[in-house]
Amino acid sequence: MNATRNTQAAKLYLFYFLLLAAIVFAVMFPRLTLPFGFSYIIYLMSKPLTMMLTTGSKKQRFFYLMLILVCVTFLFFPLFATLYNLETDFGGLYQQLPEVQKILQDKFFAFKVEIFERFGLRINMDPVTFVIQKLEKQGSKVLVQFPNYVSSIFEWLLLVPMFLFFFFKESKTFSGLFMETIPNSIFEKTYVLFTQFNTKFGEYIIAKFIEATILGTLITLGLLVVGFPYPFILGFVAGITNILPYIGPIIGFIPAFFVALLSKDPNVSMIAMVSIYAIANLIDMILVFPLLVSKIVNLHPIVVVVSIIVGSQLAGIVGMIVIIPFIAFFKLLFKEIYQDLSVQL
Amino acid sequence: MSYEKDQMEKFLKGDGSSDRLDIPLLKYMWDASPLAFMTTKESYHEYFKKISVLQSFSDNEIRLFTKFLHRREFAVNEVIFRQGDSGYGFYFIFSGSVNIYANQQIQTDDLGDLVIRLEKRQYFGEMGLLEDFNRRSATVVAAESTVLLGIFKPDLERMLEIYPVLGAKFLRETALIMANRMGQLTREILTLKKKVKDLEQRV
Repeated sequence: MNATRNTQAAKLYLFYFLLLAAIVFAVMFPRLTLPFGFSYIIYLMSKPLTMMLTTGSKKQRFFYLMLILVCVTFLFFPLFATLYNLETDFGGLYQQLPEVQKILQDKFFAFKVEIFERFGLRINMDPVTFVIQKLEKQGSKVLVQFPNYVSSIFEWLLLVPMFLFFFFKESKTFSGLFMETIPNSIFEKTYVLFTQFNTKFGEYIIAKFIEATILGTLITLGLLVVGFPYPFILGFVAGITNILPYIGPIIGFIPAFFVALLSKDPNVSMIAMVSIYAIANLIDMILVFPLLVSKIVNLHPIVVVVSIIVGSQLAGIVGMIVIIPFIAFFKLLFKEIYQDLSVQL
Repeated sequence: MSYEKDQMEKFLKGDGSSDRLDIPLLKYMWDASPLAFMTTKESYHEYFKKISVLQSFSDNEIRLFTKFLHRREFAVNEVIFRQGDSGYGFYFIFSGSVNIYANQQIQTDDLGDLVIRLEKRQYFGEMGLLEDFNRRSATVVAAESTVLLGIFKPDLERMLEIYPVLGAKFLRETALIMANRMGQLTREILTLKKKVKDLEQRV
């Protein structure tokens, strides 16, 4: 009995050691683990679709294929259109930068004068020049780092399809091997939690992606209808930032607010723009989010906001996006541990 | 006359060359494969064909069912699960045997009272597959070197999604196992009640 217990304990320690070694490897070699993680996310996203297309009768498969094609055409077309127009929109914004700087400096000067006249306070700082200088510095940094970015893009272009091929072809063998290394004493729990995490993660990412596309499309269409400038890039930014719960819509709204604030064109209406953003976000909150996302991630709003801040501290924008399914998984894990403890006590 | 000779005669007469797929022949080839003893899947197939509760499964259904199973090997005296653990799986004993203990004292080495010993082709833990937040009602320990084939909640969900008919059939069989156990329990309770009544009358 003691020999069996020792062997079990040795197996358990070996498993934890391997897990720790994998985490250390992942942290030490981000150039490998980031494209690996990205490929894994794409693999998890595609799992429900592959399941739909590989099971059921021929008629069902044909129906699902048509449904996916229709969704892709309708949902992704604005994104493709955005990519096509991004260059034009960015070019327009870049040309306007000196003008924007001048307007901002004029407005800040007027503000300083008003403060001095009303309260007799003299403001000596110049935040506008400071921010513009910072942006220019960052821009030059990006230019210096540009060859590195290009090489990492090529690296990703090579690694991501390779990892994806590996996931699609060998995922069963790989997961089988992983399962075999799990010691018997923790197998049931680990297997169930691992499966739940995979399902939640894949469903969450795909749901957020669809939600972002719907919101981006609505805002682009709305801005196009009222003749607001840069509709594609603003819709694109609103869609992308919407991936972040709660604070995403606010971040997505800021660029449009500044465009409206700084525009001299009388046709550019702040009220129309605000209404479009409000309506699109309302549709998202009332229809899209409850149908697509809320069932997958059942977390308290405060937990979500705190998680996003922690995620941004840990891994920037990527951390802000992926932290939510991780927190949902940890919630499950803690629930499990808590239940175990309550039985033992 | 052997099947091969029969087929050969038919072939020589020109009867055996049909455009249609000969399912019985394929089945025969499957079962008679000289490499069958080497493959684990084939032995799973033979194993499940002999399990009474899965007798309504066709050969193909058994083949599909084995895809969802996990093979776990346990050393002698190794604990499979303890009373009070969260349960997610249903196990078939592929080889070896297990002892089931009840009334285990929590956080002690004492396993409790031995209730029953289960042998090859028997099964346990079906409640873990069906019930939400299931807690194991007994401790199960490998009595010898044992191989178990386990199916867990996520596997059942995946089976119901991919092969709904097979999933429903398996659920029906699991429900039958539960019903049998319930019937057994009811009979035991009735016997115990009768004994208690007898004792009360004597006192």
